[in-house]
Amino acid sequence: MVFAGIALLVLSGVAGVLLTGVGREVGLFWAFGLAFGFTLQRSRFCFASAFRDLFLFGSGRIMKGILAGMAVSTVGFAVLMSRMVPNPLPGMIAPEAHVVPVGIHLILGGLLFGIGMVQAGGCVSGSLYRMGEGYVASWVAFVGILGGLGLALHSWNWWWRISIERAPLVWFPSFAGYGGAVALTLVLLLSAYLLVLWWEARKGLALPEAPPAARGQTFVHRLQDLWERVTRRGWPVVAGGVTLGVLNVFLYIAHMPWGITGEISRWAAGISRLAGFPPPTLLGVDQLGGCTLTLGGNRLITHSLTLDVGMVVGSLAAALLAREFRIRVPPNPRRYVQAFLGGILMGYGAGIAMGCTIGAFFSAIPSLGLNGWVFGLSLLAGAYGGVQLLKRVP
Amino acid sequence: MKLDVRGEVCPYPMMKALEAMRQLPEGELLEVLTDHPPSLETIPPLANQLGFAWKIVERGGGQWAILIAREAQVIEQALRA
Repeated sequence: MVFAGIALLVLSGVAGVLLTGVGREVGLFWAFGLAFGFTLQRSRFCFASAFRDLFLFGSGRIMKGILAGMAVSTVGFAVLMSRMVPNPLPGMIAPEAHVVPVGIHLILGGLLFGIGMVQAGGCVSGSLYRMGEGYVASWVAFVGILGGLGLALHSWNWWWRISIERAPLVWFPSFAGYGGAVALTLVLLLSAYLLVLWWEARKGLALPEAPPAARGQTFVHRLQDLWERVTRRGWPVVAGGVTLGVLNVFLYIAHMPWGITGEISRWAAGISRLAGFPPPTLLGVDQLGGCTLTLGGNRLITHSLTLDVGMVVGSLAAALLAREFRIRVPPNPRRYVQAFLGGILMGYGAGIAMGCTIGAFFSAIPSLGLNGWVFGLSLLAGAYGGVQLLKRVP
Repeated sequence: MKLDVRGEVCPYPMMKALEAMRQLPEGELLEVLTDHPPSLETIPPLANQLGFAWKIVERGGGQWAILIAREAQVIEQALRA
């Protein structure tokens, strides 16, 4: 398995060179996708369990990693945005920032997504990296996500008219300047971190990280130790979160913050067209950022496609290196139904909220918009509901 | 006692392990068979918290057994056997 993993990494490198021939960004985003997938798999970075386990086990282990990652991105994004828009005035937004209108569509989208990710046992990024690890249920969830995004494409114009069109865009730097916006976001992140600590102390299980195994002190021992740490043992979750946060800053420097579902909606649009139900022209999407639904252009291979596919391949490589790859078939047939329906809810929720746990949360809070916080709280409420449902499904 | 949670993903392995631990009689061994790596990060600390001893045994092919007992000797005996 380890050799297959190394071979896959070499092949992925070759593919990267070939893709760079298609377009510079296409190749670059492939590399980012691989890195995101590798990091997610190694640190077992599951947004669904971050929210769910707060309620199910009183554990905030992964949530603390997410908060740390967003704190890193917040600073990086702010530096970058302040160079693109030195004087943020009301009504302005930095290019490509994940700032979207705040309204009932965002809250409902977060609720549906929260319930769906708990049922499916993983959010969109979680499903992508688990597809690479060999989880059959995650492939089923992905089909559901495509279906949910397809439904969202067909009902987008209704949501646009009743909510999104009139909903306000709230970008903190245009009210408080960059310093104020960063300070506010960091204080809120720190408060959330302390709240998680308090929550764990109050009712739950603080899950300590596994202690590292001791080895010899020679150079070879240390080299082996490093290899083991990176490829075999799970990364500490805060290390995973910070790595993702740093990668996100680099991705924004390259072009745009990390997002997934906008691209998947393009696939859903293509499938919908092939099935004889072409989605209508989407109102207002040209004015919106983040992971807004898209019908796609003329090009098949784009940078966002290689980013998403790269995540699956990066995770597969990491799973092979760790000898963790395995085709996992759930014995309980209920799990397929849960995965599919959970996927539908996630797809639809991400469609109307213009992003998933990545685009509308992990990239949105560092974009210094109010929308990331509203979506995050809605996810939390949805996850709570999802846990109540889950306790009733054996 | 054996608990096969292969094919199950979070949170089911942990929920079922928790249930099994609560029912585990003294002096008996609980063997949780899993192919879900995150379980290796969540079940052992859970066992710690509830005062159980544990040991992870790699079974190859992306499978692990987590041995859990109230007494550490029970696990050592099982490993020797």
